[in-house]
Amino acid sequence: MRVSRLASLFVLVVLAGAVPVASAPAPELTFTSTQLNPVHEQEWARTTLLKGFEDETGIRVRFIGDLAGPYIDRLVAEARAGRGTVDVTGTLHGDFPLLVAEGALRDVADVLRQLEGRRDRTFIPDLVKAGQIGGMQAFIPWMQATYLIAAHKRALPYFPAGRNPQAMTYEDLLQWGENIRQATGERRLGFPAAPGGLYGRFLHGYIYPAYTGAQVKKFKSPEAVQMWQYLRRLWGVTHPSSFLYTFMHEPLLRGEVWVAWDHTARLLPALRERPDDFVVLPSPAGPRGRSFLAVIAGLGIPRHSPNPEGAARLIEYLTRPRTQVLTLQGVAFFPTVREAAGAVPTGGLKVMADGVAAQATARDARTALLPIGLGARSGEFVPLYVDTFTQIAVQGKKIEEVLAAQARRLEELYRAMNAICPPPDPPERPCRPE
Amino acid sequence: MAFPRQAMTIAERRLERPGLQFVRLRIDWLPYLLLLPTVIFLSAFFVYPMLQALALSVRGPDGALTWRYFQAMVGDTYFIGAIRNSLLLTAIVIPLQVTLALTIALLVHSRFRGHTTFLYVAAIPLGISDLAAGLVWLSIFTERGYLNMLLQGLHLVPRPLTFLTFERPLLLYGAIVATEVWRATAIVMLILVAGLQLIPREFFETAEVFGATGWRKLRHVTLPLLRPVLQTALIIRTILAFQLFATVITLAGRIVPVLAGEAYFQYTIYRNPHVASAYAVLIMGTSMAVTVLYLRLLRTPEEVARA
Repeated sequence: MRVSRLASLFVLVVLAGAVPVASAPAPELTFTSTQLNPVHEQEWARTTLLKGFEDETGIRVRFIGDLAGPYIDRLVAEARAGRGTVDVTGTLHGDFPLLVAEGALRDVADVLRQLEGRRDRTFIPDLVKAGQIGGMQAFIPWMQATYLIAAHKRALPYFPAGRNPQAMTYEDLLQWGENIRQATGERRLGFPAAPGGLYGRFLHGYIYPAYTGAQVKKFKSPEAVQMWQYLRRLWGVTHPSSFLYTFMHEPLLRGEVWVAWDHTARLLPALRERPDDFVVLPSPAGPRGRSFLAVIAGLGIPRHSPNPEGAARLIEYLTRPRTQVLTLQGVAFFPTVREAAGAVPTGGLKVMADGVAAQATARDARTALLPIGLGARSGEFVPLYVDTFTQIAVQGKKIEEVLAAQARRLEELYRAMNAICPPPDPPERPCRPE
Repeated sequence: MAFPRQAMTIAERRLERPGLQFVRLRIDWLPYLLLLPTVIFLSAFFVYPMLQALALSVRGPDGALTWRYFQAMVGDTYFIGAIRNSLLLTAIVIPLQVTLALTIALLVHSRFRGHTTFLYVAAIPLGISDLAAGLVWLSIFTERGYLNMLLQGLHLVPRPLTFLTFERPLLLYGAIVATEVWRATAIVMLILVAGLQLIPREFFETAEVFGATGWRKLRHVTLPLLRPVLQTALIIRTILAFQLFATVITLAGRIVPVLAGEAYFQYTIYRNPHVASAYAVLIMGTSMAVTVLYLRLLRTPEEVARA
């Protein structure tokens, strides 16, 4: 008697839980992303970017920004459980191979075909190609970004005489910092070297290829040793609080730092607030050219997306030329469709766009790409470079010894994942530091 | 009955009195019933994740037992520094906090005019999260911060000083200690105030009758009677000190690595839950060891007599 009453209660509870699933899907989409994750960008995504879509379609979008770790765990867990709650997802190019390997994504080739069939947008072909992973179209290009230098105009008089800031070399940058230090007694160069900062990108994507011509292959080469000696000297003219900087726009606006290297989105707030005070310059060139990272973010649909049609609609909205211009203006991520690339921005954004163009079109420019194919161990790549920096520049250990030990870790990582070298390295698999 | 009365349990004694069996059944279940929500909560949110973390730290992808995550932890660039800093910060901060908290608690206990207002003001940092506290003190210590503004306003320095620099770890330590003392002294103080209020007034009055002065009253009446409460405060504070993380990250980045911070970075930056769990297990082990140490060192006289 009692058991049957309990059983009927249980059935009721289960039914009550199942009812919303059985009826038409609620007009809401869940959109997870590692991009637009800083608080002010999340706020912008909710109140500006996604509001346009909500007003147009009546579908509410729940935007969830997260760090890469928990973000990937969630998608992988949903794939393994065979039940999903995430409808659309956006992250960096380098995260997709792992998601594909885990079977966490749908092929979005049909969505791409539909979008191209509208004839109102032309995706940049290289970016579409970057999205072809593991025999499927894993993502649709969403946004692009890069890293470069923003400088306060106050710093320009100290730039090495007779040299051109638009074609700066690493020696120029060091001399610049040194000139400022001698003239003012302060160190005014700044790098985002806090744990949440993106200094690691500077190491593997900028200075390493500029000095050695490679990100991984020449990790412990004589050129690399030279580069680390240079970095030690550069650290000597860098603001000694740099280890606290996550977003360079903050020390730039405070006047603590005059010359800062960072991600476009993390410099923009300074340019927006005082567009007349700053210039944006291409990253410096080393003996092996002016290396810079092209960062690609893509949009994918999880395999168990509860509402793939809604997801496709949101992707259509986000890659529309008008939305892409809105994104450029809002958070300084650059368009992935040609039709939006022609839009002429104003104010601080124009300063930024000019700098980005100057960097990409410099005669000695070399594009580096984020490493891919490191799967579950992707997270270890960047810290390996930052830890090398900590040991050499902060703890003052011997360069050759540190490089030898860290190169062993790098080699083990690439061998274990059987991953290919990231450009500009030659496409070897597994990649191996010489 | 064959056995002496003292050996009987309460339930058996009740059995001797007919008519009370009904009551016995109801009363026996009540404590367990009341404990049940706590037990469920603790099992689901503490015991289970703790066991999971333990498993993550010693089990490889194939499920076999392995020490390699602990080896990876020990070989990590920041491991030695993290151990040293966690222990050192705990050793500096806790005595400062206890002394300061005891002083404030005694001050409040003296019931001077306005002591309640003072108590509330002194307890304010209790309501501020560690991250927020770190940010508050960061805005004081940066090159363009309040401290420099003050020093410059008073013409004590010609130009702003850089306090937070990797070149002077002592200053970094000082900033962290100042923040921690400001932020977490209040909890110790509140526990001690509560403890002081539990000491019956008669003890002090008796001491006065025998002519004890302020210092001797403190030494021979207050402190011994406060010992169990002090023990609790020390255990809580030390465990929390090993979990210290947000204030350190805010003020010193990873220049001053600490154990809890490394656990966090292993998970968020390196995406290695195994090594992160190894750090968590290490923190748990250290906290347990320190707790046992406190329990032994600060045993109250009755406990010593019983043991």
